[in-house]
Amino acid sequence: MSIVFKPDETFRGDYSYRNSEAAILRFPFPFPEDRYMYSVNMEPHDGKGPSEAYCHGFDMDEHYIAECRDRAITLERDPGRCQVLPHMMSAQWDTLELLMDRLSIDYPEHFSLNKSGPDFGATWTWINRPLGLEQSFVFGDVATLPCEPFEYITRQAQGDFAICDQREGTLFLDAGMVTSQADWSLDFNVGMNFMEWHGPVPLAHQAGVFERALKYLMMIRLGQPVRRLNWTMTVNPRLDTAPETLPEWGPDRASLMPENIGRKLHLRVELQTLWRLPRSNALLFPLRCYLASLDELVRVPKWGKRLSRVLGTLPPQLVEYKGLTRFLPTALDYLAPFDDGETLSAGTAAGTERLAEPA
Amino acid sequence: MKLKPSEVTSRPVYEPLRADPNAARHWLVLEAGSMDADLLAALGTAFAPVVQRLQVYWIGPEAPTTALGSLAVLPGVAALSQVLEQARPLAINDRLCAQGTESFVWSVAAQAAQAGLTQSQVQLAHAGSQRRRVWCTHCHGFTEGVTTNVVDCAGCGRYLLVRDHFSRRHGAFMGVMVDAEQPGVRPAMQEVFP
Amino acid sequence: MNGSSLQLRVVAAAAISPSLRHLQLASADGASLPPTGAGAHVLFNLPGAGRAHRNAYSLVNAPGSRSRYDIIVRRVAASRGGSAAVHERLQVGDALEAQWPANLFAPIRGARRHLMIAGGIGITPFLSYLQDASVRQTGCELHVCCRETEQGVFAPWLPADAPVSFHWDNEGHRLDIAALLGHQPAGTHLYVCGPSELNASVLNAAAAAGWPDDQVHTEHFGSGSGGEAFEAVLQKSGLSVQVAADESLLEAIERIGVATPCLCRGGACGVCVTTLLEGEAEHRDHFLSQTDQAAGRLIMPCVSRSRGPRLVLDL
Repeated sequence: MSIVFKPDETFRGDYSYRNSEAAILRFPFPFPEDRYMYSVNMEPHDGKGPSEAYCHGFDMDEHYIAECRDRAITLERDPGRCQVLPHMMSAQWDTLELLMDRLSIDYPEHFSLNKSGPDFGATWTWINRPLGLEQSFVFGDVATLPCEPFEYITRQAQGDFAICDQREGTLFLDAGMVTSQADWSLDFNVGMNFMEWHGPVPLAHQAGVFERALKYLMMIRLGQPVRRLNWTMTVNPRLDTAPETLPEWGPDRASLMPENIGRKLHLRVELQTLWRLPRSNALLFPLRCYLASLDELVRVPKWGKRLSRVLGTLPPQLVEYKGLTRFLPTALDYLAPFDDGETLSAGTAAGTERLAEPA
Repeated sequence: MKLKPSEVTSRPVYEPLRADPNAARHWLVLEAGSMDADLLAALGTAFAPVVQRLQVYWIGPEAPTTALGSLAVLPGVAALSQVLEQARPLAINDRLCAQGTESFVWSVAAQAAQAGLTQSQVQLAHAGSQRRRVWCTHCHGFTEGVTTNVVDCAGCGRYLLVRDHFSRRHGAFMGVMVDAEQPGVRPAMQEVFP
Repeated sequence: MNGSSLQLRVVAAAAISPSLRHLQLASADGASLPPTGAGAHVLFNLPGAGRAHRNAYSLVNAPGSRSRYDIIVRRVAASRGGSAAVHERLQVGDALEAQWPANLFAPIRGARRHLMIAGGIGITPFLSYLQDASVRQTGCELHVCCRETEQGVFAPWLPADAPVSFHWDNEGHRLDIAALLGHQPAGTHLYVCGPSELNASVLNAAAAAGWPDDQVHTEHFGSGSGGEAFEAVLQKSGLSVQVAADESLLEAIERIGVATPCLCRGGACGVCVTTLLEGEAEHRDHFLSQTDQAAGRLIMPCVSRSRGPRLVLDL
C-alpha cells in the first residue's frame, strides 16, 4: 500500500496535523488490558506486530515529510537538540548504514542506495525521493557529507534517536537527535550514564528495576533488535515538547475544555526500539513518536472504551508523573459516553477495518 | 553544612577525600571560605601517607597553617589551568582532589578534565555552604549561589524551580520554569540550601 | 537483516605454525556477512567425535568486513574437542554453523591512548584493534609475549606500520611489565588478553602502579575449566547428569539435550545465569556480584562447578 504524504501539515502554530483513516487504524495503541500496569514489556522487533507500524525496522508513514520539516525548524531554533560527543564517530557511521540499508530495502519506492562497496572508502549514492535529496559520499569520510553522518541521516527519519556507548559496566547517552521528546533535555543529559539520566524517575521504591533493565540492555545482540512502548498525553499535536520550549507549550496544558478536548488532547505513544551497532558496539535507541487525538481514537470502538477504562483506573502517582492531573476529569467525561461496558478482547489490535463516523 | 539526601540518582553523593598510596603526585585544591580547622586536620591525617608527593592549592586569601605541607595560594580556580599545564605530561597515576562548595569542586573538575585527567583520577568532596549553581533549561544560562527552592534566572528572568537532577558536564543543577502552565502562579520562595 | 545464526563455509585453511591454524570463512550462500567491530568474537558449532562443541573465537579480520571472517585457533593439547575439530577435521568447503558476532572486549572509544598486552593466542582480539582506523588514529601500542619462533606468524594480520613489540622468555627480551605500566599518560586504557597467569600479573602490576580500575580491561581466554566430577540435577526437566572432570556444567547439560541460553561461554556475559536450588556452587565467573556469589542462589554453568557432590538447578 503506497503512502500518501501530507507534506504541509503542521505540529505548531495552527496545528493542522490530522491522521487519515488509514493512519488511525495503524496507530500503535499501547493498552492490551483495561488496567494499565507499568512494566518493562520488551519483545523482539522482528517484523511482526499488532499493526503495520511494527512491521518495518524504521516505520515510515504519511507524516514523514511534515515531521522532517518540523525537525528542521526545531534545529534551526535550537541546534543543541542534536549533539554527538567526539568519540562517537564510529557509532555515527553504524547508524547511517543501518538506517540507509533498512529504509532502502523496506521502502524502495522512496529510497535508493547504491554502493561501490560495502565498507569504509566505498562511494555510496543515496536518493531520498520524498525530500528530493540525492547525495553521493564516501562511507567513512565526514568531509563528503554536508554535516556529520548521524545528523545527516536522522534529519531524514521520523522520531528521535539516541546512541549509548557501552563501557564501565553501564551505558552512556553520548549522542542524540531529540526534537520530539516527552519533556527531557538532551543538552542537560548528554554524557550521563544510565542511572544518572534516569535520576528524576520516581521508582526509588522499586529497587533493582533499573539494575535489571541495564543488564538486559547491555546484552542486546547484533541482529536481534527489541522494542517496547511508552505513552503519555500531549495537548495539541505538538512534537517539540522539550523542556526548553516549555514556556511555549506549557500554557496549552491549562487550555482544555469539554468542547475542545476531543480535538486537542492527544495520546502520545513512543515506539522505542533498541539496536546493537556492529563496529562501535554501541546501542542505537530510536524513539518513534505517534500522536492521535481522542476524537480520532474513539473512532475505533475498542480503543475508545479501553482508553476510558485505563485512564479511569490509573494509579494517582502515575497520573501525577505523566502530568495528567489538570485535565484528566475532563478527558474522562469526554470518553464516558463511548463506553457501553462491553467486554473487550485482550491485546491492542483495533479489531476492525472500518472506523466509526467522526463524532 | 550537611547536604540533604535525595532520591534523584544523578545527585552526587560525596565521600571524604582519601590519598591513594599506589598513586604518585597528589594535588589538593581547597576553597578558602569553606574549610575549617577540623576539616583541615582531617585532611592532614588522610594525606599524611603521601605528604612527600602532595601539593596543596588554597583558593582564596590568607593561607592557613596546616599539617598538609607545601601549600600555595591561587586567586581563583581558573589559575589551576596554568598549574596543570606546567605539570605536563600528566600521568595515569596522578590524582587531583578538591573540597569546597559544589560549584567550586565541579569547576575544579572541569579544569581537570580539560587538562586530560580522567574522572577516576579526580575526587571531589563537599564542605561549606549548600548553595547551588543552577542551569536554566530554557536559556541554558547559569545562576550562581542559589540557596532557595525557586529562583529568578540570571539569564532570562524566568522563575525556576531548582531540582535535584544534576549534570556533571555542566557542574550544575537543573532549573525549570515553575509557572509555565499558569503564568504568575508561583510557590513561595524558601531558603533550602543555606 | 535480523538473525541469530549464520551458515558459513570454510574458504581457506592453513597451518601457520605447528600449533596454530588459520581459517577463513564466508557466508554459505554468498550473502553479506554482518559487519564486525574491533574485539568481536563468533561462537562456532564445531563437529566433534561423538558430540558437538561450541567455542568462541576472536575475529582477526579488519572490522567491518562483509565478505570474510578470519580466525586463528591454537591446538590445545588436552583439547576437549573444539580446537581438535579445527585442526584435524575441518577442510576447505566444509559447512559450519555459527552465531552472529558479539563483542565483550570492545576498545574504549573515549580513551586518549590504547595500550595492549597479549600472551600467545591472546593476540587475536588485538589484531582487529590494530585494523580499526580510529584506534590507530588515537594512538596505540601492542606488546606481545610469545615464543621467539612465533613472532612472524601474525604478520599477515598486522598492518606494516603497526606499533607492535614482541617479547619472549630470554635474557634481554622479557617484557618488563612494571616499567611499561609505570608512567603512561593520563587517559590511557590498558587491555590484557592471555593466559590467566599473565592477566593476573598485569592486573596486579597495574594496581600497584596506580592505574584506576576502570581503565584496565581483560578478556579471559578460557583456560582450565576442569575439576572434580559431580552430579547435576535439573529439577524442571526431571533429568540428572554426571558432570565429568573434563567437561563444564554447561557442556554436560547440553550433552543430555537440555537447551539453555549462553553466549560467551567464559563466565563474563551473564546470559547463562541459572537459579541454584540446592548445593554449593564453586564460582569461577566474572559476572555475578560478590553478594550474589555469597548468597549462593545463582550460578553460571559455563565456567562454575560444585563444591560438593551434587547441585540442583532450576532447569
